[in-house]
Amino acid sequence: MLGRLARVALVARQAPLNRGAQAPALGRLLSTDAPSAPTIRRPDAPVRQQLTDVGKYAAACLPRFVQKVQLTAGDELELLIAPEGVIPVIAFLRDNHMTQFHSLADIAGVDVPARKYRFEIVYNLLSIRYNSRIRVRTYTDELTPIDSICEIFKGANWYEREIWDMFGVMFHDHPDLRRILTDYGFEGHPQRKDFPLSGYVEVRYDDALRRVVVEPLELAQEFRKFDLKTPWEVFPNFRSSEEVPIGNLDSPQGKIEEPKK
Amino acid sequence: MRFSGTIDYSTVVKPVMSTTMPEAKRRVMSLYKAWFRAIPTIMDKFDISVSEKDCRVKIREKFEMNRNVSDIRTIDLLVMKGQMELVETLRLFKTKSHVMAFFRDSVPEKPKDFLSKFLDGQ
Repeated sequence: MLGRLARVALVARQAPLNRGAQAPALGRLLSTDAPSAPTIRRPDAPVRQQLTDVGKYAAACLPRFVQKVQLTAGDELELLIAPEGVIPVIAFLRDNHMTQFHSLADIAGVDVPARKYRFEIVYNLLSIRYNSRIRVRTYTDELTPIDSICEIFKGANWYEREIWDMFGVMFHDHPDLRRILTDYGFEGHPQRKDFPLSGYVEVRYDDALRRVVVEPLELAQEFRKFDLKTPWEVFPNFRSSEEVPIGNLDSPQGKIEEPKK
Repeated sequence: MRFSGTIDYSTVVKPVMSTTMPEAKRRVMSLYKAWFRAIPTIMDKFDISVSEKDCRVKIREKFEMNRNVSDIRTIDLLVMKGQMELVETLRLFKTKSHVMAFFRDSVPEKPKDFLSKFLDGQ
């Protein structure tokens, strides 16, 4: 990082000399025509090679669980694994001498309701020994529990509680799986895509009862498809492109209709 | 907090999955009994304006709500959520208003017959 900063500073100093002093230096830095301008971080070829080797090695050692190995964003190694392989894969990555991912940076969740297994659990690991990171991704649905990795990383305890709280993914054999971010009495899992923006209950102070009461919320407005078209007859040739399809693109309702002549 | 040895359902929530229906049923029954045993403690610790009998009726009602659930994984999920509620109550993470929220006493009954619906303005 320090080296990159120094390089940026060097380019900024040299730029006016190369191109004339009229243009501002920042504009010169952000221009795309000069290949030397470090606007896009280019992955290091040796680092890529090293990560590829690590990925291949892990996939060769754990063929039963690793479904796919990929490099995303140039140099981010990802292992896509089957949900039953969470403990073996994470334990392998931590304990193997060639990987030594001793630090659990984060566990994250992703919700994609259209998928059969709608939740994705993402483990980010850091190897201080080899100065590299790895991302392990697996999947589950609302009811299938994922094995907790608290036995391997003690720090996973609160991360898994957070994922339980936000997404409602169960972690099998977690030492104490309770809510961690939401309030007591809160209903639902807020990071799910089908969680309404207003929540399911509202909380208010009741003067007669002299305490805070929790009441089910009546959603004031049902989901509706807004008609964003202008009512005036303008440019009928472009009308079909203005329609915004909502819902499944494959279904006949979601298809963009041709304007009737 | 205990992390090893026998599990005390009133202090920690440790999700353990059932494999057969009788096992799931046993877990439901043990949770039901744990709630019943907790009633005197709840009455003692929270200043709530309901009787022990009301609590028993309400707990029974909450369990009866899910009587028709037949999927083992769903039963386990519901048992786990029930354990969480119990732990939060017994360890005084909840306050009086959270406990009274079970009873929904501030929510007015929805009108059922025509005349009361009309008077309600629907």
